[in-house]
Amino acid sequence: MIDEQAAIENLAKSEKLLFVGKSIERADSLDKVLGKPIYTMDIVPENTLYLKVVRSTHAHALLRKIDLSRTRKVPGVVAVVTAKDIPGVNESTALLPDKTLFASDRVRFVGEPIAAVASYDPSVAEEAVDLAEVDYEPLPGIFSILDALKPDALKIHPGGNIAKHMKLRKGNIEEGFKQADVIVEDTYKSQFQEPVPLEPEAGFVIPEPDGSVTCVGSIQSPFHVQTGIAKILALRPEQVRVIQAATGGAFGPKSDEIPVDVLGMAALVAVKTRRPAALAYTREESMIGHTKRHPFVTTLKVGVKKSGKLMAWEATLLADTGAYASLGPLVVIRACFHATGPYVIPNVKTDAYCVYTNNTMAGSFRGFGGPQAHFAAESHMDVIAEKIGMDPLDLRLLNILRPGTLTATSQVVDEACGLEECVKKAVGESDWYRKREQFSKMKGTKRRGLGIAIMYHGNSLGPEGKDYATVHMQIERNGTVRLRTGLTEYGTGAPSGLIQIAAETMRLPIEYFKLDPADTDNCDDTGPTVASRTITIGVRATQMVAGNLQHNLEEDAATMLGSSANQIGAVNATFYVRTNPERFVSYHDVVERGYAQGVQFKLAETFTAPRCEYDHETSQGTTYLQYTYGAVTAEVEVDTETGRVEVLRMVTAYDVGKTINPLSLEGQIEGGTVQGLGYAIMEELIHKNGRVINPNLADYYIPTSLDMPEMKTIVVEYPGHLGPYGAKAIGEPPIVLPAPAIVNAIDNAIGVRLNEIPATPDRVLIGFKRMVDRKRGS
Amino acid sequence: MYVPSDLSDLLEYLNTNQTGVDLIANGSDLINRIQRREVTAKVIVDLSGLLEFSYVRKEGKTIKIGALTTIADLTSSPVIDSRHSVFCEVAAKFGGPSIKNVATVGGNICAASSSEDLLPVLLVLDATVRLKSKFGERLLRLDEFLKGKRMVDLKANEILVETMFQELDETSACAFEKVGMRNSLIIAFVSTAVYLKLDKKRGLVDDVRIAFNRVTGKIPERARRSEEAMHGKLLNMQLLEEMASALRGELRLSSDFRASEEYRSEVAGVLFKRAVARCYANLVGRELV
Amino acid sequence: MQIWWDGNLSKHLLKFNVNDKDHALIVDSHERLLDVLRDRLGLKGAKEGCSTGDCGICAVLMNGKLVNSCLVLAIQARNKKITTIEALGTAEKPHPLQSAFVKWNACQCGFCIPAMILASKNLLDQNPSPTDEEIKSAISGILCRCTGYQKIVDAVRTAASEMRK
Repeated sequence: MIDEQAAIENLAKSEKLLFVGKSIERADSLDKVLGKPIYTMDIVPENTLYLKVVRSTHAHALLRKIDLSRTRKVPGVVAVVTAKDIPGVNESTALLPDKTLFASDRVRFVGEPIAAVASYDPSVAEEAVDLAEVDYEPLPGIFSILDALKPDALKIHPGGNIAKHMKLRKGNIEEGFKQADVIVEDTYKSQFQEPVPLEPEAGFVIPEPDGSVTCVGSIQSPFHVQTGIAKILALRPEQVRVIQAATGGAFGPKSDEIPVDVLGMAALVAVKTRRPAALAYTREESMIGHTKRHPFVTTLKVGVKKSGKLMAWEATLLADTGAYASLGPLVVIRACFHATGPYVIPNVKTDAYCVYTNNTMAGSFRGFGGPQAHFAAESHMDVIAEKIGMDPLDLRLLNILRPGTLTATSQVVDEACGLEECVKKAVGESDWYRKREQFSKMKGTKRRGLGIAIMYHGNSLGPEGKDYATVHMQIERNGTVRLRTGLTEYGTGAPSGLIQIAAETMRLPIEYFKLDPADTDNCDDTGPTVASRTITIGVRATQMVAGNLQHNLEEDAATMLGSSANQIGAVNATFYVRTNPERFVSYHDVVERGYAQGVQFKLAETFTAPRCEYDHETSQGTTYLQYTYGAVTAEVEVDTETGRVEVLRMVTAYDVGKTINPLSLEGQIEGGTVQGLGYAIMEELIHKNGRVINPNLADYYIPTSLDMPEMKTIVVEYPGHLGPYGAKAIGEPPIVLPAPAIVNAIDNAIGVRLNEIPATPDRVLIGFKRMVDRKRGS
Repeated sequence: MYVPSDLSDLLEYLNTNQTGVDLIANGSDLINRIQRREVTAKVIVDLSGLLEFSYVRKEGKTIKIGALTTIADLTSSPVIDSRHSVFCEVAAKFGGPSIKNVATVGGNICAASSSEDLLPVLLVLDATVRLKSKFGERLLRLDEFLKGKRMVDLKANEILVETMFQELDETSACAFEKVGMRNSLIIAFVSTAVYLKLDKKRGLVDDVRIAFNRVTGKIPERARRSEEAMHGKLLNMQLLEEMASALRGELRLSSDFRASEEYRSEVAGVLFKRAVARCYANLVGRELV
Repeated sequence: MQIWWDGNLSKHLLKFNVNDKDHALIVDSHERLLDVLRDRLGLKGAKEGCSTGDCGICAVLMNGKLVNSCLVLAIQARNKKITTIEALGTAEKPHPLQSAFVKWNACQCGFCIPAMILASKNLLDQNPSPTDEEIKSAISGILCRCTGYQKIVDAVRTAASEMRK
């Protein structure tokens, strides 16, 4: 497999790279700037029924009675569906079989779906929902991780309140602490971060005459939806067609059970009424009903030598997964593996717990445990540095992962490790030493600070699942090359990367390539579009199929030119004999000749990533196929009278392996950086006794254009073995480091260590006041 | 819905239909309430066509602002000159252009809530409001007009047509300060407006008016005891420090999910000092010491 | 000008101009401009992101002013000129702003883009040479979650420069 890839790339490299590394315009941009109707709610068919959902008003309760008689009687109500209307299995889940589509005997969070009402007029459906009468028998609600872990705590699920416990054991932790000179211990807390895709969840289902259904929605993983809907409707997967409409942002919640919730409810109505049925979540429903980032409570106990050498790292990570686990167990696995930060530590003991509560659900969200792990680890490194009187940069450089060293899972870091260069370049670009020197002398109410945080990010699913992708390609008679795959575009630009690679492999102009929308009828199960699988796994499959197509074309061209395939070069829709370039034939002629002879230029290839093998008790082994590395600095100005933190500038340096499209890459990095900034200082979805009290965009603050810092992106390339041309995952990493970098910068500015994010003005000001009072006291 | 053709038509209608009526200027507040199905009115009266109530004019020493003047139109009016830049300060942190183009002065006043940042400014300018009905008109001080959250002294057959205040001159200045979670689209943790009339020769406070949002209960209010305490005193930083502490006693602080009582208490004092200091600097051309 | 009721709802004749075309429609008193544009006139460019006027992605131009169409009752658009994204350009002849957004790969998920482009057009109509700060202010009422805003600002700056030629 590796050899094939190398052969393709070497051939391409021997002639200059045409498209890879260039800022090719994304193919989906034009429709978007023209405002074309491409999103789910833009293309709902005529005479569609609209659903509104009856949701639990209790955080934890038994359902004694669900009385929908008054609901059904509202004029204009066409259908009402509950768990009783499910022909198949009442299940809508991501990993564990812990969640239903409709609650029937018990609810576990405020907002859990109980029934749905459908009408041609959405306001009628809304009115009817209010008339639903549900008899709840309240159960005690559990709203904190610590309460959930008490020995006598009520079990939210039969198996207990721990959905997953992941362990990592490396070396001998007790020995490690003995060898240390100083032990530093602290606890870090992070919040529910709400993804806020600008398009709330939406989907519609059309019942087909043959008993099958067609589902269209705002989704990341069409095949997961297909499997889920088939199970609910008691259909075979082939009878459920799932098409992804243009998707207005996703970030995680649209990849797991939530689209199954949305399309499942719509499908029940569609099948019952034989009419198309649509469900569009309001923003409030979206914020309550979909999955968000797990809040973590992380305790770190680290033993370090006076020299700064890290000897022992003990971490306990507690994740609040809410009422249902979703992909919480996998989030916790990733956090467990990354809990030390990117450092060489001989003795590590990590325990990560995914814990149920009666809060709303936490699940996939860009970063997937990485942000929480790094917030704790990178905050702690600064604390350690201060404790032993060492420069935080020196402490990091002393311990960072370098080629040949071992990660916390004892995986050997290969030569594709640009971490040190990222650190050095970020430090250089941020003028680290001069500015920190200058800032330390500042007086007055506004103080500036500069902080750093560094990371690593295991690429692709690693231990999270089987990692494969299939890409279909067909050359049409007019020369258009059509690609079909189950990988989805929802803003990342990654699928455009498929086109770039295909074009590079076939050395044809980009305009020849068309990527069809993801449609389960037209392609094979490609797994979920998450974790940057498109640019790593998906593109490898593309390379394979494009390479094979190209090979066939070259053979045909060779025949036409009286030469042999290995003598043929290709450029700009022309095949030529390398030793004699005046002998050439056009790509179109080759295709036409093929068609005339009945050749089908249609191929599909599957690329499966090698499995990751590791010990499930100790987490020692190969946990990921490659790593992305990064270093981010943040320059902040803190107003010590109001607690306001202005993030002035962020320098973000990433080892991306190979840049496929520079502008798209920068766009991903900038977007993730600003999302990370929100996580650091302003975003918090607040629950009170299980009820979300700010499920709207007036009270949940995401950064506006006026909150954007100056951003400088530095790209470093240490090609890995997994992605095309050595490309590494860059979709998730940018959201990981802003929080610790900013919190470290705040500490540098005003001498206040914030152990809890978001670092709101309240927390900053009160922290500063306490520090000043303590100093005065002493 | 009822769409009046002019003022007298509107007043006639309001007089005849005194119950079950909701008024909208440009509608943003009402529409949210419609979405939440909190509107029980039988009729909505759309005022947006009464363009004769969109104006900013100066008559003598009085500045008059029509109730339908949008925030955008207010700040772009030549009457709102640099001396009255306090309105621009409010607008700068109001929200994006699409909000400023639609929010009206009258709408803000009648919404009567502590999210409306225009209110503290109008309160310290000692603004009055003119209310008209079929039978005549009333003039009320703004602080009399605001009765409580979403409650104003507006009779069922009355409409707010304009607000007015005395213009600032070379001895008076007004400043607004606000702190929120981010730089745009913010509901403040605390906001404050200050009016200062300075005896420039002796450096004494001739008159000071202070109003806060979000730390005075449900609606913005003047901190009158603190105002009293400052009258005739020599204005310097020390006075401001003392007042910032004393001020807290007059506030009705509370914690909510946005900010704690302790935070608001601290910041109210800080914003007060900053606002007064800026007024002073604008009048005198020097920093306050 | 009293119109007939139906309980809490009443119906009204709405005469207005959208993208240089006159329309006359019967609308409900509670219908929003956003609903009329999307559901009656099939102009899907304006999007619904939050229903409370906090995200700005429903923004359109009304008599040349940027407004959140989810906060304007349809009837309040009477006799006004509405401009939506669909008026700006075509695939063959895109508006300079549209070309610039494409060139900069400033569209990621694309959901905020029609509003961003209209807000930028509104800015450039009044201020052909904006600074980056002025661009950021002009779009400060529109939330974007994907791009971090930088490429959008770059695109507007480029378009402004093109349009000054």
